[in-house]
Amino acid sequence: MRMDRAEKIGTGVSAALHAAVILWALIGTWLFPPTPTEPVEVKPAGMISEAEFAALQAAAPKAGEAPPEQPEVPAEEAPAPEEPTPEAVPETPVPPEKPATPPEAEAVPDMSDLTEPTPPAEVTEVPPSMMPPVEEPQDTDAPEFSPRPRPKPAMRVAPTPSEAPAPDAKVSDTAVAETKPEETAEPEKPVEEPKEEAAPPEATTEIVTEATEAEEKPTTSAPKSSPRPRTKPTPPKPDAPKPATPSETATAAATPAKPAKPAKPAASKPTSSDAVADALAEAMAEDSGTGTGGLGIAKNGPPVTAGEKEALIVDVKACWNVGALSSEAMRTSVTVRVDMQENGHPVSASIKMAGYTGGSEAAAKQAFEAARRAIIRCGSDGFPLPAEKYGWWQQIEIVFDPSKMRMK
Amino acid sequence: MVRWILAAVAALMMTTGLAAAQQGPLHIEIDEGVIEPLPYALPTFINEGAGGLTSDITRVIAADLSGTGLFREIPESAHIQRFASFETPVSYPDWQAINAQALITGSVGLSGGKVVVKFRLFDIYSGAQLGDGQQLAASPQSWRRLAHKVADVIYARITGESGYFDSRVVFVSESGPKDKRQKRLAVMDYDGANISYLTDSSTIVLAPRFAPQGDRILFTTFETGFPRIKMMNVGNAAGQLLPETPGTMTFSPRFSRDGGSVIYSLEQNGNTDLYRMSVSGGGAERLTNSPAIETAPDFSPDGSRVVFESDRSGTQQIYVMPASGGEPVRISFGEGRYGTPVWSPRGDLIAFTKQAGGRFFIGVMRTDGSEERLLTASFLDEGPTWSPNGRVIMFTRESPGAAGGAKLYTVDISGRNLKAIEGVGGASDPSWGPLLP
Repeated sequence: MRMDRAEKIGTGVSAALHAAVILWALIGTWLFPPTPTEPVEVKPAGMISEAEFAALQAAAPKAGEAPPEQPEVPAEEAPAPEEPTPEAVPETPVPPEKPATPPEAEAVPDMSDLTEPTPPAEVTEVPPSMMPPVEEPQDTDAPEFSPRPRPKPAMRVAPTPSEAPAPDAKVSDTAVAETKPEETAEPEKPVEEPKEEAAPPEATTEIVTEATEAEEKPTTSAPKSSPRPRTKPTPPKPDAPKPATPSETATAAATPAKPAKPAKPAASKPTSSDAVADALAEAMAEDSGTGTGGLGIAKNGPPVTAGEKEALIVDVKACWNVGALSSEAMRTSVTVRVDMQENGHPVSASIKMAGYTGGSEAAAKQAFEAARRAIIRCGSDGFPLPAEKYGWWQQIEIVFDPSKMRMK
Repeated sequence: MVRWILAAVAALMMTTGLAAAQQGPLHIEIDEGVIEPLPYALPTFINEGAGGLTSDITRVIAADLSGTGLFREIPESAHIQRFASFETPVSYPDWQAINAQALITGSVGLSGGKVVVKFRLFDIYSGAQLGDGQQLAASPQSWRRLAHKVADVIYARITGESGYFDSRVVFVSESGPKDKRQKRLAVMDYDGANISYLTDSSTIVLAPRFAPQGDRILFTTFETGFPRIKMMNVGNAAGQLLPETPGTMTFSPRFSRDGGSVIYSLEQNGNTDLYRMSVSGGGAERLTNSPAIETAPDFSPDGSRVVFESDRSGTQQIYVMPASGGEPVRISFGEGRYGTPVWSPRGDLIAFTKQAGGRFFIGVMRTDGSEERLLTASFLDEGPTWSPNGRVIMFTRESPGAAGGAKLYTVDISGRNLKAIEGVGGASDPSWGPLLP
């Protein structure tokens, strides 16, 4: 590997420069001695005498003079000031950053905000001397307040013209007799809109007694009542699976899918469980949409999701009024079955009690009546059920369980 | 392996789909509703010759129903359908349009010197009559009772439990300043009407108690200078002092459920215990024997147990023991002091007065002391008494100050519908009698 000519030149220049720098470092100081710097007098601040400090104070610029530039003195090295008397405080030009204000000086600030309240008038024998007399305002040349700036003339024009002012009153040449209001002419009373008197809603889902809403509650964290253990929920009755007969499956397969009706929006927000239910429903729809061997699912579509069920629950419970139920009826859970029309309306005549628990037959009858009223009232506008899933809700079974609202 | 997993998933989904397809009706459960008064319509009954009584009776029925807090009357001005006669058929859509859920129609006439009331109740949303039509008759002087009877029937048909409107209350009528108050025994309708006085104000009377049959009253009187128990016949105001042991004081009496015996407190030598005696005479049977003060006894509806207050634990608490005596069981354990326990006619609850934190409360608890609920709270509430159906509690509320006075109040056992009984004036110590026959 041989170097060409240019490389040799570069190497030579570099070596010469390096040699020159090394030579300068070795003999430069000897050839050009540096100018000696003035020695810096180092003296600890704590060693400054009181006389020197007084001299510095005297040499300090007076107010209005431009302060000469001085080296900053560390605060911790400043001489500890003697305890000044309160009278000396305003005379001593204390820099704002001066540390350790004496305790006496703390009494000087305005404490008017912290003064004790004025004693009651009946126990005060002398007039309070702390209140300065109210001085009459004196006329001074200096205005106390700067004059309010005059508003600029509005440059805008109102979008609508103002009405023309009424013409000035003119004195008539002929006298006119004073008019008197007719006794029979009474001012017409404003016609009030017909008030809606049909049972304003005052519903509540919670009973608040006077004792619970009293302001002065007993200061105790002990429970006011011992909660009764909840009754064991009744297990759902397993419906005997009906084997699909060939005729039924044939009918289901032969029946064309009914036209889907616009589904009403669900009244409640879908919960997290809804997503799972929806996913399952979609999966089942995909699975059973076609060619499932006539299981009947194609006709019914996907099952009702939890969100759709919740919307139905919200709709029904808004009309389930238990306010007039007896105590025993409030302990009775009734199961009600109702046939539904495709438009979401219940068939009123089909509402029947499928069973009850927790009370007598008479109480169950009262509870059933309240449940039936709820279904009919809120079903009059149709329940929010998806029409395409009518096969799943053509009959609904509702358990009305007032145990959570039970008063006793 | 993957194929096996896919097959298993597919089988699972098929099975789920089958199960879903084969299940019955759509099943939902509702455990929360609303609590609101049931809207009802009560057009003024048809006047069939009864004159002003027609509207009077209608208004009393409406006051009874609306006064429970369970029902709300829709004003007649909002009614769409008008009834020309008692037989006019009901137009249900007209009543549904104003959100009426129950409709009461009726007529009032005179027949044979008696007021005759006919009425029907309709369930608007069912579109059917609720129960059969009914006809009641009474003398013109008893027209209020007639209205109460109608309201009781309607109340029972809608709620499923008996009413309490046709009943009376005995109480202590109070008048005069607080430091010189005059007290008389008085009886009134449950709503404060028809007040009649049984005693004058010459002696102090305390704690009257109706017999379960409503024919007699027990109370404590100071007519001998010492508290003694007196029994009075409501019909003729004839009374008699119950026998006692000399040198004792007897007070706080209560009839047994059959009305045949009386349980009461007897103080002797500074000690107060519970005793029981027959109203027909005979010796007294001692039920408790402790150095504490036992008082305010009351029988359970079946007569098998007695609830009372005692300070045997150091503070005033509620105890239950067998009616024949025996070891009492304490049932009140909350903060404060408990007293004046009264057993519900249904037997499931005990009402009481509670004092805690400088305030007085009326509350209820189960017979084992559980599920205590405070219904009212004020400067001074005391002396609860049950309505005949166990749905409402009446009690005394005294207002503070020198000008304060005692009034009677009622509250539903749910704690709702707290209201004063107007038109009675100063009153205390109520005792609710049974439904009148």
